Amino acid sequence: MLAETQQLLWRLITAPEGVAAALAADSDRGGTLRARLARTVRGDEKLDAAERLDIYANMYFFRILDVLKEHYPGVRALLGDVGFHNLITDYLLRHPPAHFSLREAGRHLPELLDEHATRALHPCLADLARFERALNDAFDASDAPALRAAALAALPQADWPNLRLALHPSVHLLASQWPVHTVRAAIDRGENSGAPEPEATWLCVWRDDLTVFHRAIGAGEFDRLQIISRGASFGAVCAHGSEAGSTDDTAQDVAAALARWLADGWLAA
Amino acid sequence: MSSAARTGFTDLGYGVGLRPPHYGHVLETRPAVDWFEAISENFLVAGGRPLHVLERVRADYPVVLHGVSLSIGSTDPLDRDYLSRLRQLAARIEAAWISDHLCWTGVGSHNLHDLLPLPYSEEALDHVAERVRRVQDALGRRIALENVSSYLTYCDSVLSEWDFLAALAERADCAILLDVNNVFVSAHNHGFDARAYLAAIPVERVVQFHLAGHSDHGTHLLDTHDHPVCDAVWELYAVAVQRFGALPTLIEWDDRIPAFDRLQAEAQRASALAAEVCGDHARRDATAPLAADHGA
Repeated sequence: MLAETQQLLWRLITAPEGVAAALAADSDRGGTLRARLARTVRGDEKLDAAERLDIYANMYFFRILDVLKEHYPGVRALLGDVGFHNLITDYLLRHPPAHFSLREAGRHLPELLDEHATRALHPCLADLARFERALNDAFDASDAPALRAAALAALPQADWPNLRLALHPSVHLLASQWPVHTVRAAIDRGENSGAPEPEATWLCVWRDDLTVFHRAIGAGEFDRLQIISRGASFGAVCAHGSEAGSTDDTAQDVAAALARWLADGWLAA
Repeated sequence: MSSAARTGFTDLGYGVGLRPPHYGHVLETRPAVDWFEAISENFLVAGGRPLHVLERVRADYPVVLHGVSLSIGSTDPLDRDYLSRLRQLAARIEAAWISDHLCWTGVGSHNLHDLLPLPYSEEALDHVAERVRRVQDALGRRIALENVSSYLTYCDSVLSEWDFLAALAERADCAILLDVNNVFVSAHNHGFDARAYLAAIPVERVVQFHLAGHSDHGTHLLDTHDHPVCDAVWELYAVAVQRFGALPTLIEWDDRIPAFDRLQAEAQRASALAAEVCGDHARRDATAPLAADHGA
């Protein structure tokens, strides 16, 4: 009985058009939801059962909508309030929250945008959402210590080639055909820059101490960071691209990149 | 504490909810409040600023963990990962205690992120009491459960909310976090007597009060936590203090959050009112009857 009650309420609270519309649609199909609700929830002269349940339905939708507005301000800016509202309606149908934390409620929005109708309007939306999700994930990623230059310099140089590098848990890499970070940067300045023009872009998002940063990087640097994320040795990172000539990076470029990674805390100790 | 049922629940005084807009102010000025209550789920994260802030706050104040996703009334299995992480967090910050709500928040592995009431039936009572015992075993401590504001009741309820809560506390050997505003809101929405509610709750089980503001939507009151505590709720708080004693009291404010001073003033008002009700006695005799001439 208790399980049936909870399943009935969950179904009606999460109905995308509201409780009354869900009951009407069900009645049109010859369903029994209205009768089941009448047997389950009391109504009175102030509010009938559907109206009482609708209070919860509204709180469910708008609580999550508010959180996702905070997590995806760039997506919201490009779509506008009505477009974002409709997107989240679709999203909750496909990805109802399953985690104990509201912070996880919007985790799958980039995947939805990969195939959503809004893609035709703004092809960059999924990547923008991926970038904004990376900012959120970096914010409360693990506090693993970063590898700093002094610690690396203390190792015998003979050990460097076989040294296994790892990215700091807060580091997220994103390749896109659009400079999606410029959308978010404009939002943070209180502006709406609109959708960006296509431009091959490689981004790194990370947290140093308690502050989240992002930076556009070159293709070669992006590739090297990606092979680090797969557990490559320092020697393999240095050699990457040089044999095949796939990047124009010089040895000096690689050394400079390594110095930046160490300074910014992109590598885990 | 005045009875064994309150063992483990320290007399913390008057606190406020720890919310992100106040992090900087709290860390920089160490304001004069007795304790903070942190929303557990906001700190069940791997690292970063939330945990950093919580640990720094904990260095200067007692901290209580107050959850919103335990879903003690759900028919889904208990979330063992959640409980394990909650226990670790409580140990890490030496949480004064852990509380959550008498409600269900989801079913079918989904989370509504809302606090839904239960049918007050024997079936639900058996179900929840058994789960509370398992949760307390998993956490290694007694928990406090809070009464929620509600906007619906069920046809198959055979007990009043207060009788259900009292019976649950006895059967599961858990404590009660009495949200005075929630009693007021639900009393209005369902037409029961808030003072009768308080009078039916066993004194020795109540370990903490919550106070918050609500909104009037005409057909119902909504527990919005976006207003000051209203006069009628202050009056009901005085009744609660008269019955249960000057227990640790928390001001909740979660939306349209004002400057910290405003919350501090509310906590000070609670402290002053409790002192006025109790006189010089830190705690009232737990066996004394509820005064009939107080109330909202």
